[in-house]
Amino acid sequence: MSTALYKRVLRRETHSSRSGVAIVLAVILIVVFAWAGTESVLAALERPALLVSPKDAAVSVLGAASGPVGLLTAAGVVAAVIGIILIVVSFAPGRRGRRGVDAGRTAVLVDDRVIAQSVSRSGAYAGDVDPSQVKVTVGKRTVDVDVTRTSGRTADVRSIQDAVNDELSSYDFSPTLRGKVRLSKKAEIA
Amino acid sequence: MTSTNRLLNRLLVFVVGLVLFLAGGVVAAGALVPSVQKPVADGANDAKGPTGDALSGGTPWILWVVAAAALVLIVLLLWFVFRQGHGRTSTLLTVRSGEGAGSPQGGSLVIDAKVAEEVLEEALSRDPAIVSVDVTAFEVKKQNVLRITVQTRRGMSPVDVRRVVDRAVSEWDTLLGTQTPVVVQIVSGIRTQVSGTARVA
Repeated sequence: MSTALYKRVLRRETHSSRSGVAIVLAVILIVVFAWAGTESVLAALERPALLVSPKDAAVSVLGAASGPVGLLTAAGVVAAVIGIILIVVSFAPGRRGRRGVDAGRTAVLVDDRVIAQSVSRSGAYAGDVDPSQVKVTVGKRTVDVDVTRTSGRTADVRSIQDAVNDELSSYDFSPTLRGKVRLSKKAEIA
Repeated sequence: MTSTNRLLNRLLVFVVGLVLFLAGGVVAAGALVPSVQKPVADGANDAKGPTGDALSGGTPWILWVVAAAALVLIVLLLWFVFRQGHGRTSTLLTVRSGEGAGSPQGGSLVIDAKVAEEVLEEALSRDPAIVSVDVTAFEVKKQNVLRITVQTRRGMSPVDVRRVVDRAVSEWDTLLGTQTPVVVQIVSGIRTQVSGTARVA
């Protein structure tokens, strides 16, 4: 099928559209502009202001320049930090915890959570432990499998590792994943 | 899958961030350096009078300009907010009438996305590995694309689920007689969490 189309869809669906942040900022700006516009119209018609008239607002902003240094610095730093966070957000890739593959006929996207649950189940089956004793964390390129053995029994880490590797090698999603199994020191009472 | 302009989203976030950063940085840095802070504060104090006059009833045109500018910006921002998340379509396929083989004569053929939804949801929701199915059509780059979202039972291998979906898609292709792009999403949702672990057969 259409590779270019699938490539586009896969890239877009594995990364955030940043529409949440953008909409919140837009709504805040709309409220601010609506308020400023209303106050201007009220002042032009010489009606009483809603909260502050534009004249008083401008004068107090100008007056703030001679305000206490500590307060000014703090306000400036807070604004600058929020600004830096927004700039970082606007450039960061914003991965959505999914991976995909162009499988020819279809394009496939898989949630990392589905992968984690599947790896957890096959690891638990191979190691003969309860699925709740296998905790799986899926990162960008790694799968961390933490196995808690049952008290008084050993857990077969080697066969769990094999099962996890088998499972992961059957995937063709990108980015690819590597598995790492760890046996936790503490045991759980069955 | 939607046609949201992501560059525009990031641009808005970046511009607001940059304005906040520069304004905050200038205020903080200026306040800390006395040789900057003093003249700026004096200048601002001197400007109080003229600015107050300009914004009071004496010269109403400035206020009207401010109001008009605010209105224009509000309209732009509303357009920006409401153009997010579009791209859903109700038609899957349109075949225009023509002379060639495989095209209808005397009228064009429109296949609703609802048909694909019904058929695929029916075919997939019977599978024990799947707890729920949602099929939606989107228009991406002038092409109608079907998106099949599949919620798996907890612990199912995505590879197995994919095999099931691929079979349903190829049956659908046979039924339709042609192929439209399909995007399969294998997800884990609220119904996965409560559906219990899949058993090993």
